[in-house]
Amino acid sequence: MKLEEIIKFLSERVPRTDVGVLEKVRAFVIRDFKTWWTYRLWVLLDITGALTSVATYYFVSRIVTPTALVNAGYTADFLTFTVIGISFQHYVWSSVSSLSEAIRDEQYDGTMETILSSRTNFRVFLLGESVFRFLVGSYFLIASLVMGLIIGARFNLTLGSALSAAVLTALLIASHMVVGVLGAGAILKLKQGDPIVWAFTWLTQLFSGVLYPLGLLPEYLQWIGAAFPLTYSLDGLRRCLMNGEDLTSMAILGDAAKLVVFILVMLPISLWVFKMAYDSTRREGALGQY
Amino acid sequence: MKRADIVGIFKKDKPRVKSTLRQFYGVVWANIKIMFAYKSWMIMDLLSTVASVVMYYFVGLQVDPLTLSQSGWGTSYLAFSLIGVATSNYLWSCLTRLSHSIQHEIRGGTLETIAVTPVNMLTFFIGQTVRGYLVSLIFLIGVFVVGIAGLGVQFVTTPSSLMATLVVFILMLISNQGLGLVAAGIIMVHKRGDPVAFMVASMNEFLAGVLYPLEMLKVFPLLQMISMIFPYTYALDGMRRALILGASLADAGVLADVVMLSAFSVLLAPIGFVVLNWGYRTIRVNGSTSSY
Repeated sequence: MKLEEIIKFLSERVPRTDVGVLEKVRAFVIRDFKTWWTYRLWVLLDITGALTSVATYYFVSRIVTPTALVNAGYTADFLTFTVIGISFQHYVWSSVSSLSEAIRDEQYDGTMETILSSRTNFRVFLLGESVFRFLVGSYFLIASLVMGLIIGARFNLTLGSALSAAVLTALLIASHMVVGVLGAGAILKLKQGDPIVWAFTWLTQLFSGVLYPLGLLPEYLQWIGAAFPLTYSLDGLRRCLMNGEDLTSMAILGDAAKLVVFILVMLPISLWVFKMAYDSTRREGALGQY
Repeated sequence: MKRADIVGIFKKDKPRVKSTLRQFYGVVWANIKIMFAYKSWMIMDLLSTVASVVMYYFVGLQVDPLTLSQSGWGTSYLAFSLIGVATSNYLWSCLTRLSHSIQHEIRGGTLETIAVTPVNMLTFFIGQTVRGYLVSLIFLIGVFVVGIAGLGVQFVTTPSSLMATLVVFILMLISNQGLGLVAAGIIMVHKRGDPVAFMVASMNEFLAGVLYPLEMLKVFPLLQMISMIFPYTYALDGMRRALILGASLADAGVLADVVMLSAFSVLLAPIGFVVLNWGYRTIRVNGSTSSY
């Protein structure tokens, strides 16, 4: 092939196929699943880790008195209380932190710049990166809840309470995707460490009532818990799954409303923060740097 | 500076450090300097360690002191769980630090560079391990300071109980380090993840009685038997006997724990070195010291 022909070949404008958002997200999910499935041993170890952490609380529940739970308006069942707390906290933590890790890995391997210089915009990129993480998280969540059921947790399920729990879970996912996007923006700019995911992890463990009802905290610490969507999600989910209440209950409705407000306020902010970090990193030409 | 001077500097044969002790010091000091470069990350780690203690303070408010005391561990759940949480976190970070740093060096392509220098690789690995112990010690001390000074936990701190704690603690590190070396050897070959350390940490947390009295496993004989194959189970029992009950090394329970930990140390440490050596040889033969 002559030089002129090569130049002509490279200069030719090939019309791009406009791939729909759903198709792109599907491609992200298939890609991530293939990577995930390559490390089957880790899939097994991860699930073992999640299940043993739930099982540990079976033994802790043998030395606990449920008075504080009853005072907080839940049924007197510490095991079910902690199974819900640990399972959902682990669910959102793994989904949110793995999004930051994915961004970091893409930077490390140099694939992020490649993807973002294609016609895939950053919103689709974020959505694509998040969906599989939440799907894997859901798999662990279900496994943890089933494990809880096996070791003696009792869920009070009616059609109404199950549907309400589903609505709250959807709100939990949406509100934590927002946190994940904030964390992704931070990691894009800072490269090392992720203060958002870090703060989110330890503050929620301490103040969102994962292992104890919030009433045990001094009032000024309860205020900190009120800033996190996990606090409302856990309260609502426990009322549904332990007490058998549904969305007609004022407490659950209040929790759902607060989650909706959180999403409405924080979604545009987190997208804006990510866009700022993304644009600044692009300007510096540091998308592929780590 | 003239070009000839620069060439002269590069040509100069600088005497290399041959002393193992100096090399060891160099590895430890270099890594500590790197760690202190990430100050904000250190503060964040310290705060989350503190949070983990405070969390069990609130869990402890729900524990029935009578039920706990029937297991023979006094009435303070915070004292009970503090020893478990602090030492299991310490052990976890010590066990994983060597394998994580090897993983990091492989990914960054620096393990190969170190391997071609006259630095003795055994010195390098031991240096990385000791650095892990020292760094994690900051967090361990932080946890105990928060527990004792901040949350009012009371331990028996007679000279004999502290001596027993120290002996059991050192044996805990030696016996578990064998597993850490196995993890590092495997990670060099398989590159991704740290399955051995992860499995040991999960099982330790679940079966060694970090958060509940081990007596509760009596109703599940199989689980109780499995818990006996982890050295940490004996370490935790020995440290709790010393710090909560005030037992000394002469106490039959502590003595039994010391014997078991010594046996684990003798058994696991050589296995650890064999696997580490195997891992290093394998990646050198395969030429994969910098591929990941």
